[in-house]
Amino acid sequence: MKKFNKNELAYFDGKDGRPAYIAYEGKVYDVSTSFLWKGGKHWVLHQAGRDLTEEIERAPHGPDLLARVKQIGILQE
Amino acid sequence: MAQVARQVVEKAGINVDELLELLVKNASAELTTFYYYTILRVNLIGLQGEGIKEIAETARIEDRNHFEALVPRIYELGGKLPDDMKEFHDISACPPANLPKDKHDVMGILKVLVGAERCAVRGYTQICNMTAGKDHRTYDLALAILNEEIEHESWFSEFLGEGPSGHFLRRGETSPFVSKFLK
Repeated sequence: MKKFNKNELAYFDGKDGRPAYIAYEGKVYDVSTSFLWKGGKHWVLHQAGRDLTEEIERAPHGPDLLARVKQIGILQE
Repeated sequence: MAQVARQVVEKAGINVDELLELLVKNASAELTTFYYYTILRVNLIGLQGEGIKEIAETARIEDRNHFEALVPRIYELGGKLPDDMKEFHDISACPPANLPKDKHDVMGILKVLVGAERCAVRGYTQICNMTAGKDHRTYDLALAILNEEIEHESWFSEFLGEGPSGHFLRRGETSPFVSKFLK
């Protein structure tokens, strides 16, 4: 599985046709095809290309919804 | 725009542009859901479907009411609705509630309905969390809508066999929580 650091992940922000990847607890997910991540943004407040581990704690849903998208990599420190 | 109303919300620490984007996206979700629910409702037929049609119709009408109730707050805060109906659809806060491929699959239709309601419940919870104690008017509105969305979710969840809703269907008037914003 592909390994990313935070700088590499930042490229995949979903803007200008780039894929949208997000990280949660060391796993990288591809949310490019999700309606809820159009343009790399989710609910106005959350941006793709980032580690969202802390943000998801404050979200009105848990990490269980990540089961709907594909894990494509691992986030390294 | 209600200038002071916007200023006090900004002063309370809310990013009003972000809040407006959320309100517009949710208004879009309500209007598009009203449209998609029309299609779902007309396909709720037969022995299984007929029993769900009435409650789907209530949810459909109440989602349109939510749209109507959101619009004034968007303009009060200095926002606006998209000029283009297609843009409206595309920026929706929730995915399209499309009719399943097998349009006679009542359980499939129920899964679409409950999925749409769950998206709405999460969305209004987020707006309530964002505005609680800071923007009283938007909070009051979002909470009223949230109350109705939770009831919709529980109705459809019950039909899916996930457990009792604890609710009755509406008797007469719709939108018991949101109606105060429609007068």
